[in-house]
Amino acid sequence: MTNGYCVLIIEDDPQTRRFLSASLSRRGWRTIEAMDGKSGLALLNGEQPDLVILDLGLPDLDGIAITRRIRQLSELPILILSARSQEQNKIMALDAGADDYLTKPFGAGELHARLNALMRRIRRSNTNTDVFETGDLKVDFSLRKVYVGGHEIHITPIEFRLLTILVRHAGIVVTHRQLLQEIWGAEHVQDQHYLRIYLGQLRHKLEVNPARPRYLLTEMGVGYRLALQTPASP
Amino acid sequence: MLDRLAPHAELFAYERARQGWRGYCWGVAAPLICTAVDWPLRHWLGPASILMTYLLGVFLVASRFGRCPSIVASVLSAPVFAFYFAKPIFSVAIHDLENIIGLAVMIVVANVTGTLLEKSRHQAALATQREALTSALYRLSQALLTVADSAEVSAIAVSQLHDELGFEAGLLGLDGHNGLAETAPGLPGINRAIAQKAFDNRSVLREGGISYYPLNGSKTCQGVLAIKLACADSSDLSAFLDTYCHLIAQTVERLHFANQARDAKLAADTEALRNALLSSISHDLRTPLTRIVGAVGDLIDNDTGLSDGDRLEVCQLVMDEAQRMSELTGKLLDMARLSSGEIVLHRDWNAIEEIVGSALNRLEKKLKDRPVRTLLPDNLPLLWIDAVLIEQVLVNLIENAAKYSPATSPVDISSQIENGCCLLRVADYGTGIPQGQEQKIFEKFYRAVPESDQSGVGLGLALCKAIVEAHDGTIHVVNKLGKGAEFSLSLPLHEPPALTTADIQPNQL
Repeated sequence: MTNGYCVLIIEDDPQTRRFLSASLSRRGWRTIEAMDGKSGLALLNGEQPDLVILDLGLPDLDGIAITRRIRQLSELPILILSARSQEQNKIMALDAGADDYLTKPFGAGELHARLNALMRRIRRSNTNTDVFETGDLKVDFSLRKVYVGGHEIHITPIEFRLLTILVRHAGIVVTHRQLLQEIWGAEHVQDQHYLRIYLGQLRHKLEVNPARPRYLLTEMGVGYRLALQTPASP
Repeated sequence: MLDRLAPHAELFAYERARQGWRGYCWGVAAPLICTAVDWPLRHWLGPASILMTYLLGVFLVASRFGRCPSIVASVLSAPVFAFYFAKPIFSVAIHDLENIIGLAVMIVVANVTGTLLEKSRHQAALATQREALTSALYRLSQALLTVADSAEVSAIAVSQLHDELGFEAGLLGLDGHNGLAETAPGLPGINRAIAQKAFDNRSVLREGGISYYPLNGSKTCQGVLAIKLACADSSDLSAFLDTYCHLIAQTVERLHFANQARDAKLAADTEALRNALLSSISHDLRTPLTRIVGAVGDLIDNDTGLSDGDRLEVCQLVMDEAQRMSELTGKLLDMARLSSGEIVLHRDWNAIEEIVGSALNRLEKKLKDRPVRTLLPDNLPLLWIDAVLIEQVLVNLIENAAKYSPATSPVDISSQIENGCCLLRVADYGTGIPQGQEQKIFEKFYRAVPESDQSGVGLGLALCKAIVEAHDGTIHVVNKLGKGAEFSLSLPLHEPPALTTADIQPNQL
């Protein structure tokens, strides 16, 4: 049984590659493997995968360079695998265009949740729905209205914009830089305090307990993620 | 009174000053003044009384200017008396036996009193000089009590000599390779070769107006004090300088030994830390490994007849243990990174509420159904902190609270602003911290109950402390009156950037 999608795994450790490949195959993905950056980029042209899983610690090219190369060619979703010691590289790769990340060690459950969110995004961008719903939260883009548990919530234009970007990437991390650049422009990408203030306000409006959010999650040091309440199947 | 006066020219060369020309002038003038006073009274005064006035004059000269001017005065008094007052008048000849005896007695008495006065004056001067030296030694020893390194010792030794006694001096200390280096400059013209010789022979040498005193300690020579002395040293001064040098040398030695002791303690601490690290790693990494190997062995061995439920349970165990090892390695890595030197803080403006939320999100699996009560005021200011690290602090504290309290008891997280700081508290309803261990639990590899079945290496709180202190904050723990421990960390507030209306307008809407 296949889901019809193909994923390219670029990872130098054979054991990790085997685990990823086995786990993905069982869930219906077709997998192709590359053990370094150069052969990975070569496969990208030949096989036309739908998604890339990219390890940051490759022997030949660094993950940021590979991300940039892939972005020059396509809008293909990229999921990054990073170790704890590569925090800074991870953020740089995300800002260079990677879509999400997983910190090693990770379980199969987390991996599939991330991949599903990424594929969901591709499908959504194709269909372009007007209403987004997860758990109690409902966002109506055509009417520019937000509901929590059926009640309309009044939110400001900036908050709506913030929410729109997060919804567009639902389940996927959005970096501080992406948010700041999209809302306030390139000259404000360092002004993280804007985000703290507006996201804080948004949390107070949308969350039952803002100190224990269900929807607007913080990825410390990286950015924000709108959590999907019910796992969607790919 | 002796405080700071002691201009050394007066103290150490008083004799020369007193024997100056002024004393001799007075020695000549005194008999003449006596003659002038006595002349109008010569008809009423007997020769004995007149001799007494001369004696008074000689005595005054002796008391003021010392022995030699007084001898001049007494010798001059004899012919003047003979000329003006002893018969025949206006002739130096004396016929009267009484006058001859009187004159002789006067000369003898004048000489004896002059000598006695001179002696006592000399004693007084010596006493003053000794007192100045003693008090200089005293003040030096006082000043040396608090010094922290040998460069400071040199500077103090030289400046004390200058301020207290007016001597110009320089100090040559050990340069670390058994050679001499000028550690306290202040005296030009030091001859290094002579200094080296004084150092090698451990004896006092003198050359070109400069005396070189070796700094002899109890075992070794610690350097050379070069001091400029106008004349050869008096025995008092040389004894003083010996003691002074000895004091300096002993202080340098004391510092040296203190350093050695500190290094030894550091080495011992490092060794203890290494042992603690090895034992906790071997225990805390091996225990989960043993469980994993055992469990996976069960899975591989098909004959054990595991049901699907059992199989899932075993897999869950492997997962949990592997997760635990992963966390432990993470903590060890963090600690290694933090103790390897400077912690690089990636500071930015961050909201406490967000950090608390993220920490709780990370711990969701561990907290399970445990109630977590958060009491965060709405108007908390943004903090200028490294959010990743402070989140780690919160994760460690909340994890600890969950670990050391009953599974269903709540964890309270609260925050408030106090004295320009943001206080963040994490409290549990467990057994609390054993009395007297409130400080120790923040030490690396320290665990309140070493053999407890709770996993952990005792790194969590040490990490917290290192991180909070890197933020110029403080962390401490108290046992609550009711029950349980309350950790509180205090982070300094900074002036947050102002949000102008231009700032908050998005570029396009």
